Amino acid sequence: MEQVKITVALIIAILLQWTLRNVAEPFAYIDFPLIIVIYAAFGQNSIRALFYGTVAGILIDALSGGLLGANGFCKTLIAYIVSEIVRRVYLDNLLLRIPVIAGACLLDDTVYYGMHLLFGQEPTGQFVTTIAYSLIGTTVAGTTIYLILDSFFVENTKKRRREIFAARRQTRRRNPIRLGSRK
Amino acid sequence: MIERSQKDVWRITPWVMIALLLSNFVLMAFDAKTSSQERVIRTWTQVAADFVQSPVTSVSSAASNYFQSLVTLRSAQSENDVLKQRVQELEVELQNRESLSVENARLNSLLELKKQSNYKLLPAQIIGRDPSVWFDTLIINRGSLDGVKLNMPIIDNGGVVGRVTAVSPLTAQIWLITKDKMSEGGIIGELNTSNALGVLTGTGRTETLEMGYVPGSVEVQVGETVYTSGQEGIYPAGLRIGEIVEVRSGSATTAHRIFIKPSANFSSMQEVAVLLYEPPPRPAYDKTLPNAVKTDKGTNKKSSK
Repeated sequence: MEQVKITVALIIAILLQWTLRNVAEPFAYIDFPLIIVIYAAFGQNSIRALFYGTVAGILIDALSGGLLGANGFCKTLIAYIVSEIVRRVYLDNLLLRIPVIAGACLLDDTVYYGMHLLFGQEPTGQFVTTIAYSLIGTTVAGTTIYLILDSFFVENTKKRRREIFAARRQTRRRNPIRLGSRK
Repeated sequence: MIERSQKDVWRITPWVMIALLLSNFVLMAFDAKTSSQERVIRTWTQVAADFVQSPVTSVSSAASNYFQSLVTLRSAQSENDVLKQRVQELEVELQNRESLSVENARLNSLLELKKQSNYKLLPAQIIGRDPSVWFDTLIINRGSLDGVKLNMPIIDNGGVVGRVTAVSPLTAQIWLITKDKMSEGGIIGELNTSNALGVLTGTGRTETLEMGYVPGSVEVQVGETVYTSGQEGIYPAGLRIGEIVEVRSGSATTAHRIFIKPSANFSSMQEVAVLLYEPPPRPAYDKTLPNAVKTDKGTNKKSSK
């Protein structure tokens, strides 16, 4: 069920990315598919997140003037890095996720720009300006979207918390003072 | 379906990542190498996206028009009084103009005979913009079924907008003239007064183009109009590109650096027109020249002599 929900969210994100720039130019600075790919990487199945990254990236590239596969490359890389961070750090707190979104956005844009330079196709946008606006737009939108998504995936979050904190609760029960009072 | 343990997933992930990165890299290399005609994935994704982009564009422009009309309504009363007075003045003026318009129509018909237009205009609506913030391509609702072909010029009522770089049956992708590196379609512009030629490139900003290779000895004025020369084999000659806003003068040995404000209105463009223009075929290579391409089997012997 979780897989279906994230897939639907990803499809909506791609459709928004395709259409919203035509409605208002500032929407171009929000990378909706990246937000969903990072969210998928927060989950336990990192392989799925990698595939989401590749597919979303290629679909965005297909309508873009950039190289086909450049976005796919960046988003796959981001999905892997975020899933590796999630393996080591507990990131179910929204406040902790904000720097992750910001860092991922920064890395995504830098790698994307670099890949185009590597193939001799310099992008039109100004490097620093575009990255700055993109960072603000994606981080703000990402934080809001995660609040919404968390309400849809509330069961999974609870389950994950139970799995992570189960061991700590057991040790609490073995309180030496309480044991002593029984005697 | 195979259920994998978390350890298995973590073990496999780096390998999957490497495989996906490699496939994306190969795709990029292939895309950078291939010409616009062979971009099959792009073409068919554009067809699929058209079913989403067209309705969204229609709805958003309808909503925008509605709010625009509400704003206009507020000032309608005061405008109405002014306009009533103006109408009376214009009625008198109109009678004078009628005689002039008859004369104008007659002169126009004479002028039309002189024009030898060998291309038609196909109006098109912009249904999508580049989903990536790094590029600024447009997608229009006209494709190969409407007669649109690769490299056809796109214009609006101001001047040149760009050219077609990918065509699907229902849609086409446009690169704007302001794009940084128009490697396949650099425009050769012509100055209005001196007829000096120069190459136009984008600066990455919608409000400026740069014209290079204009000899420093040529006199160039700010405000001068720049037209297409037709020499690059994409745009027909005589299309308005823009107006010179800044000249960094060169010398006898260095070229001018000329900055041009495009005539096309890029910021609020909703509709454009495809110029159904196909450039005249280029003459065959002169095989006797020392640097001629010697790949044709039949003529190889002749050119080597």
